[in-house]
Amino acid sequence: MNAFRKSLLGLSTALFLSPLAAMAQSGDAVTIVLPGGPDRLDPCETPRSVIGRIIKQNVVETLVELDYAKQTTIPRLAESWEQTSPTTWRFNLRKGVQFHDGTPFDAASVVYSLERTLDPKLTCITRTKYFGGVDITAKAIDENTVEFTTKTPMPILPTLLAQLAIASTKTPKGEYTAEPIGTGPYDFVSWTQGENVKIKRFDGYWGEKPKIVDATYVWRSESSVAAAMVETGEADLAFSIAPQDATNPETDKVYPNSDSAMFRLSADIAPLNDVRVREAFNLAIDRKAFLGSIISDKAELATQQVGPSVLGHNSKLVPWPYDPEQAKALLAEAKAAGIPVDTEIRMIGRPGMFANSNEFVEAAAEMLRAVGFKIKLDNLEMTQWLEAANKPFAAGRQANALLTMHDNNSGDAQFTAFFKYHSDGRQSEIHDAKVDKLITDAGMASGEERAKLYQETFRYIYEDLVADAPLFHMVNYMRVGKRLDFTPTIANAVELQLAKLVVKQPS
Amino acid sequence: MGNFIYKRSLQSLLSLALLIVLVFFLARLTGSPADLYLPLDATEEMRDQFNQRFGFDDPVYVQFFRFLGGLLQFDLGESIQYSKPAVEVVLQAFPTTLMLAAITMPIVIVVAIVTGSLAAFRPGGLFDRIASLISLIGASTPNFWVAIVGVIVFAVWLRVLPTSGTGTPWHWVLPIAVLCLRPTGVLVQVVRSSMITALSSAYVKTARAKGVRARAIVFVHALRNALLPVITVASDQAAGIVNGAVIVETVFGFPGIGKLMIDSVLLRDFAVIQAAVLVTALAVFIINIVVDITYALVDPRIRHS
Repeated sequence: MNAFRKSLLGLSTALFLSPLAAMAQSGDAVTIVLPGGPDRLDPCETPRSVIGRIIKQNVVETLVELDYAKQTTIPRLAESWEQTSPTTWRFNLRKGVQFHDGTPFDAASVVYSLERTLDPKLTCITRTKYFGGVDITAKAIDENTVEFTTKTPMPILPTLLAQLAIASTKTPKGEYTAEPIGTGPYDFVSWTQGENVKIKRFDGYWGEKPKIVDATYVWRSESSVAAAMVETGEADLAFSIAPQDATNPETDKVYPNSDSAMFRLSADIAPLNDVRVREAFNLAIDRKAFLGSIISDKAELATQQVGPSVLGHNSKLVPWPYDPEQAKALLAEAKAAGIPVDTEIRMIGRPGMFANSNEFVEAAAEMLRAVGFKIKLDNLEMTQWLEAANKPFAAGRQANALLTMHDNNSGDAQFTAFFKYHSDGRQSEIHDAKVDKLITDAGMASGEERAKLYQETFRYIYEDLVADAPLFHMVNYMRVGKRLDFTPTIANAVELQLAKLVVKQPS
Repeated sequence: MGNFIYKRSLQSLLSLALLIVLVFFLARLTGSPADLYLPLDATEEMRDQFNQRFGFDDPVYVQFFRFLGGLLQFDLGESIQYSKPAVEVVLQAFPTTLMLAAITMPIVIVVAIVTGSLAAFRPGGLFDRIASLISLIGASTPNFWVAIVGVIVFAVWLRVLPTSGTGTPWHWVLPIAVLCLRPTGVLVQVVRSSMITALSSAYVKTARAKGVRARAIVFVHALRNALLPVITVASDQAAGIVNGAVIVETVFGFPGIGKLMIDSVLLRDFAVIQAAVLVTALAVFIINIVVDITYALVDPRIRHS
């Protein structure tokens, strides 16, 4: 063999072997692909999926954990809790737990974490999204007992505390941290900006030791690349791959992502201020036609803004049928009654709200035009869309149908009902005394009573007011590599507990 | 020559200053970051706190003078996204893009000059036709599509290269190949047409008549004269690599400045947008100076004017 051929052979061997050797996965290590990278890894930001999916319940834990399947709460860092008065709750903490930095987990650290999260110097999402209107303080009763006091009764405090991650008292106050210190089964190792985050098993963990030792998180915004990484074995699991990339039923698993899409209708402005027109709007959209075409066939038709895993969801409501004839008849009736049904309605979409959302609004607009609506379609970029979505609404605006997608993964309807439907809600188009009272009463109630009141709220809004046009409860696709045995659930919208991953064939 | 460079630098600095002002104000016309960073149901109080923290509650001109003051001390403000100085965020991302460009451009220039010259030597010949066809395809195929197809073919089907990410030199092969494609395509065409003009000029005919060897005619006489437009286009392409890098970085998950810029614009992270534009503009500014010097070296007419 001459030298040239030898070097050619060497080169081709190198070409074929070395990249693959570099990608090999070992048995107790996993690589996980996220759609986007984190900007900070702060425990007070765990409700954001980009952060929660890495650190929540892996690096940092909460006192209480949500059980989405049963719509209930289960103990985590707290062993038990009781409501001692309408405004006070007492939590008994787990003993013998320590943070990764060696400091003990105790009542003081819980108080510290709450104070740090509520600090107005930071815009922690746990505060802005969940503790916004809640006037809450915590006090250490003894080393292992914490008492929470709220200004007004807070019957779902345990649900709320499922969002509060507990961090070591060595976490700086008043500034974000990029190195979370928690009590979880995994210890933070490193974060290389733009490249990866690494965590590894924490040997001093209080609970059962997970099987997986090392985890690396990488991110690819291009879904086909994320899917390819799992297919080639470079990664074990990819979140949120696009429906068109979910081509392998063996590895691609669907799970509800807690997002619900709807058209919010400006029920005060003609012609949408007439209930017949709003009914016609609902009847004119063939929702089922989208399933399996441009929306996943696993998505569900929605009747309200919260999914079935949320306390307060009303499962008795029936989705709107597709009935263009009835829609036309209703429009004609409204027209005869003097409603200006020919007035233009502005349909507002946002590119990338969900996969194929542009195609969706185009098709929906056509369906509405087919029964006689006059629709002008505007696809707005995020900030402009927010201006249209949020109060204060522009003076003199025209009637609009705003496409929104709302996620509620907190387990309770409170985080939807007020903001979307109360007169004072930032995105509410309605101001109905009955709705306001229902929402206020539900917020004070607990258990069965609470669920019933929210269910009635959603029924009233859907059946009597016809305030909007609910569309779909959305799903995500996760590609799970062949090494892993894992079925995603709605919890994976905001977290992925590595302890729940099972490696099938350790190599 | 010194005077020439000095004048050109002054002009570039002026445009740089204008650019900074434009970016500052244009970015702020696109809406408030508070809407994006706070949840939809955030209270007015929270929004005020947010705006206060980042100084967005001051009038825009106050913000501008604060920005200018910071600029003099190399302080470009704090990134909202990363809660870190914007300069730090940008300088962390810049080397990756610089590296991509530094590997890509020499490949592009060498391949384009050799291919373009050879094609020009016998216009209409077989090599010319093939080279023209391939370069045309290269220049007109969208990077994004090529990148995805590249991943599917080389990583998924053939399994010879990793899909994406960084780590080994192998991770750089696909991104650089994709990044080379368009500038090479464009440059081959420029070299070819410029060489054809040069080869049909009077001085080449004279050289031929004097019996100068073909290789010397092409690479000494013709190429040197044909090089000016090539340098111009090559410098444009080099600056354009930042654009190409956005796509390549997004698809392959490279932590470069292109992706950072897009993300920052989408998230209204003004400080990072400004820092990224400034650093990129400085790089383009340096490229321009280098190009000007190259011009002067190649063409004595510029040197002496």
